[in-house]
Parts: sequence; structure tokens; C-alpha cells
Amino acid sequence: MTFSIARKEFQDTWRDGRFRWAAAIVLALLGVSFLLARQQVEHQRKEREEATKMERDNWLNQGRKNAHAAAHYGVYVFKPVAPLSVFDRGLQPFVGSTVYLEAHRQNQAAFLPAQDSTSMRRFGDLTAAACLQLLLPLLIILFAFGTLAGERESGTLRQALSLGVRPASLVFGKALGLAGALAALLVPVAAGGIYAFSGISGMDTTTDESWLRLALMACAYLLYLGAILAISLTVSALAPTSRSALSILLVFWAVNAVLAPRLASDLAQWSHPMPKLAELDAKLLEARKQALNSHNPNSPAMKEFIEKHRDASGKLPPNFRVLLMEESERQTNEVYEKHFGGIWDLLEAQDEVVTWGGLAAPLLGLRSASVALAGTDFTHHRHFSIAAEDHRREFIKMLNNSHGASGRELWERLPPFRYQPPSLSQAVSVAMPGLTILCLWLAGGCAALYFASRRLKPS
Amino acid sequence: MLETANLTKRFNDHAAVNNLTLKIGAGEIFALLGPNGAGKTTTINLLLGFLTPDSGEARVDGSNVASDPIAARRKIAYIPEQVMLYPRFTGIENLDYFSSLGGRKRNRAELLELLVGAGLAEESAIRRVSTYSKGMRQKVGIALALATEAKALLLDEPTSGLDPAASHEFSQLLRKLADDGVAVLMATHDLFRAREDATRIGILRDGELSGNYTAEELKDVDLEQLYLKHLAAGPAPALSEGKTESQK
Repeated sequence: MTFSIARKEFQDTWRDGRFRWAAAIVLALLGVSFLLARQQVEHQRKEREEATKMERDNWLNQGRKNAHAAAHYGVYVFKPVAPLSVFDRGLQPFVGSTVYLEAHRQNQAAFLPAQDSTSMRRFGDLTAAACLQLLLPLLIILFAFGTLAGERESGTLRQALSLGVRPASLVFGKALGLAGALAALLVPVAAGGIYAFSGISGMDTTTDESWLRLALMACAYLLYLGAILAISLTVSALAPTSRSALSILLVFWAVNAVLAPRLASDLAQWSHPMPKLAELDAKLLEARKQALNSHNPNSPAMKEFIEKHRDASGKLPPNFRVLLMEESERQTNEVYEKHFGGIWDLLEAQDEVVTWGGLAAPLLGLRSASVALAGTDFTHHRHFSIAAEDHRREFIKMLNNSHGASGRELWERLPPFRYQPPSLSQAVSVAMPGLTILCLWLAGGCAALYFASRRLKPS
Repeated sequence: MLETANLTKRFNDHAAVNNLTLKIGAGEIFALLGPNGAGKTTTINLLLGFLTPDSGEARVDGSNVASDPIAARRKIAYIPEQVMLYPRFTGIENLDYFSSLGGRKRNRAELLELLVGAGLAEESAIRRVSTYSKGMRQKVGIALALATEAKALLLDEPTSGLDPAASHEFSQLLRKLADDGVAVLMATHDLFRAREDATRIGILRDGELSGNYTAEELKDVDLEQLYLKHLAAGPAPALSEGKTESQK
């Protein structure tokens, strides 16, 4: 019987011209978003590959010069494009993609894609993630609000219940039918997504990890959409009229999609306030002044370092310059580690607040899981920044220990920067709170729907 | 088949149905007359298990409606004033869906036969019901009663708004169902149809059964007069009060 109910609901939904139109619009938007994202990812990949090659050539062909001068000349490293950013760009437009590695200084990633955009970007990007997070729930609401409340008003619910069907079977069958109609809509979405993902030219997306990440992302979205469906049907079962069901669900959508992300962001800033940039810069400058600087012979730290290394006759060791540069780097590194480490910890703590805000609005849990699995969240960015900094330290250490060597032979000793993004298990551990929240929403939605079915009134 | 014993339902302090005791056997058509608010629809809702009685009980073919509403409903077909169907479905698809809800899955040929048997033209059966008239919808309701092999039929103002021809056609189908052993309870304002079709007529006043007569007893009685006298304040009238002067 449940199958009959599901089949009828599926057919009824598909025969509704409004559903077909709305589905066509959502599909068109998703199709465009996939195409644009794929183009953008291909363009970025090509651009960064070319820049990496050019930068390597520049480094190798810089000519003969002092190793320390080469350390100041520096190199640029580029963040590889995450393949799954075709679905969810996450923080990518707002964090830098390029790090300049040089002596004595740890630079933040620069060249934000958002800087190259027009002011229209403030309205948000058209991404597959945005369509699935915002538009599809709206579609579910528009076609689920009347499923029970509308039938109660039209009298078909009374007719159905008079035949001895169990209310739980009726509600479950309707949920299955609607889910089936949405699944039929999601099949072309999945096909488009796989096409956009697998065919990115010049990018190896065939690894098991990439596909597992994609599969887990799909699970996260299914949990989210399932929860929205269960909530919509619960409201439809309990609301006295279809109009009130629609009003309640639209308020829920607005809170979930519009209000909650802003409130959560404010709450995160309130609970873990980020100091002003000028204050941070001033503190960093002060800390650097206190640290040993090989270019400042009159600083107290330098005088102290010289005194420490003078022998009984007052002479300095022959490798004093190497020791000075190593110590100067060590102290500068400590300053930057403390400075950036503090900011990054703060940003991660803010992210955590926003993620757990998902207990109040499921979208926050989904966003957290989605960007973590796509590799476009802050944790992935921090991982890249640390890898770039590790490379810088190797680079400086190699040059400090060059023992007077110079030229291409020395420059070739510096290996190219090869970045290995976090593993799947690392990404899953970051996504886990978001996935847990989505599971809770789905379980809660199903429980609410079950209790609503027990209170289902024919009129 | 359909039984109520001291069935009572109150809304706040008002008794919508008060100590109602009825027994409708297989093949009987019981017309329940009464003004608006007399308790006819409440009685039907109690028999369907959509309302819980405050006291007394209702049974359908032995199944207690309050304690096992699903089993009771499985033996009932319900036809309201306007049979509500899914407009984007054809008559045959609606019948298929509703009969499967009633636990009777039938093939397309059987469904078509049932609809034609209920008086619906074959070409109408495969048309979307959004184009159906009220009479055509009532026929789908009758076909549903046939499809689910209901033992009892509950009708709430079934002929209201039907033209005389459609109303006559509907009555014939009803009698056919009764002849097949279905117990029928018909809540109606239509005195003409009640006299024509019913084997027994009950008159409800303020939730109480004020009169309960067989068709034979009402043979020479002006039903309208009797009905109006039942509705007037005071004790229930004698049957002779409904008779015309010549009949007396």
C-alpha cells in the first residue's frame, strides 16, 4: 500500500506543471553553475601551472648572486585548485592563492580571486552548492506544504483515511513519493556534477579519494534535503491550513538560509572576537623589533647575541654569520608562529561556533561539511599555508648553508614546491561535526513526522 | 452490520449526538433526516472513527470503531456530499489509488468494469477528473464502494446538488448495492429520495433519534408533515400526525 501511495504522489507531483517549470529552472541554474565552475577551475589550474613554471624558470635563471640576496629575491608558490571546488568554492574566493616566500618574513597568501571581481560579487556566487543549499529546499517546501494540509482542505485526505489506510503509511508513502520526484530531479544534477568533475582537463580527478569525497558530499546533501522534506511534511500534517503551512515553512527557510548564517557569524565574532588588523600589525611589528634581526646591528638583541658568541679573546667564531642568520630566522619564525597561529586558532574557533550553530539551522551544518569535503574550507587553507611556510624554512636553511656556493647549481638544490592536500580522513574529521548535525536533523525530522502522522486529522 | 449503542458525543456542553442507538442490517437503506446541526454528520464521523465518542459505542460488522478504527473502516465505503478526487488523475487512476488504499488491488479491466457498472461512460473513465461533474464524481464513489467490497456504505448528503436525472441514477445504484447486501446509512435533507429509496427512516433532533420508521409504516404518511412536527418543540409526534385528513 505504501508503494501505491508513493507512486501516486510521484505521478501527481510530476504531472503538476508548476513542479516541472520549477525543476527546469533549478536544473538550468545548476547546469550553468557547473559549466561556469568547470571553466573557472580549468582557467585557474592553467594559470597557476603556467605561473609555477615561469616562477621556477625565474628562480633557476636568476644568475649568480649571494645566497642571502637570493633568499631576499624569494620565490612564489601557488595553491593548487581543489577539484571539488566545481561544487563548492567555499572560502576560495576570499583567501589568497599565492604565497611569496622570502627571508625573515612569513607572508600570508595573497591575490584573492574576489579582488578581481566586480561589486556584483556581493550578491554571492552561482554555485552548485548554493543551488542545492538554497533553491532546492525552497522547491521542496513549495511542493510539500500542501501534501497533507492541502489534501485536508480539499477533502481527499478524509476520503483516503475513510478507507482504513494507516495514517503513518499514508504519510510515509507521500514522503517516499515526493522523495522519488526529487530524486528524479537529482539524477540529471548528479550526472551534470560527475561530468563537470571528471572531465576537468589536465586535472587528475580519478583518485579514489576524490570520488570518496564526492560521495560523502552527496551523502551530506541527501541528509540535508531529507531533513527539509521531513520538516516540510511535518508542518503540512500539523498546520490547520495549507496557507499557514506555507507561511511557517517560508519563515523556516528564511531563518535557515538568510538569518542564521549572519547571526552565527555575529555570534562567532562575539564569542571569539578578532582584533583589528591595525592592532595585529602593530603587535607583530613590535614583536619583530624585539627579535634578533641580522640586518640591524644596533639592536639590543644583536648586541646580546654578539656578546654570547665572543670567545675569551673577544673574537667571534668563523661561522658567526651562519649562526646569526639561523638564530635570526628561528626567532622570526617564533614571532610569526605565535602571531599567525593565534589568528588561525581564532578563525578555527569561529568556524566551530558557526558549525555548531547548525543545531539551530541545518544549513550551517551542511556548509561546514560541504566545504570541508570539497577542500575549500579554512582548515585546508591553513594546511596549505603551513606547507608553504615549511617550504620557506627549507629554502632559507638551504641557502644559509650554501657555504659560499652560488649560481644555477645552488638554485637547483631547492626542490619545486609540491603540495599534498589533507587526506580524506583529515577532511572527514573536520566534516564530522557538520555530518553529525545533519544526521540529527534528519532523525529529528523523521521522528517529528512520525508523531505528526499519529495526530493526523482528516479535517 | 452498522450498530450504535447509546452513542454520545459532546462538544463543550452541547450534545451533538445523544444516546443514539441504531441497528442497520445488511441490505437495509437507512435514511437519517434532520435539520442542519442535528448531528447527522457527527454520527457519520463517529462511525468512521474520525471522532471519539464520549460514551456508548459504534460497531461495523462487529468491529468496534473506537478500539479498532482501521478494521472498521476497511468494511466501510464513504461518499460525502462531494466525492473528492485527484484532479490530475483520470477516473480509473483515482479508483485504482483509492481501492488500493482500501486494501483491494484490481487490474485495469476490472476497474473499468466497475466504473462502467457505476454508470460512468468508458471514455469518461479515462479522462482527468478535473473535467467531471458532481454526478460523475458520485459514480466514482459508488464504484469505489463496489471495488472495496464494502459491507456498509455511509452517505453524507449524496444527492445534494444533483439534477433529478443524476439523482435518480444514483438511487438506482444505491438500491443495487443494498440488494447485494450492503448496509446503507444515508444522511440527507432530501425527503423525496429518502421516501423513494430508504427501507427505514430516522429523524434526528438535537442529536437524539426522535423518530424511527419503516418504509411500510410511512406508506400513507405525509413525510414532510411528520418531519416538521418532529422538529417542532415538544414531545415526538404520533405517526398518525403525519397522515393527511383523507388518510385519517
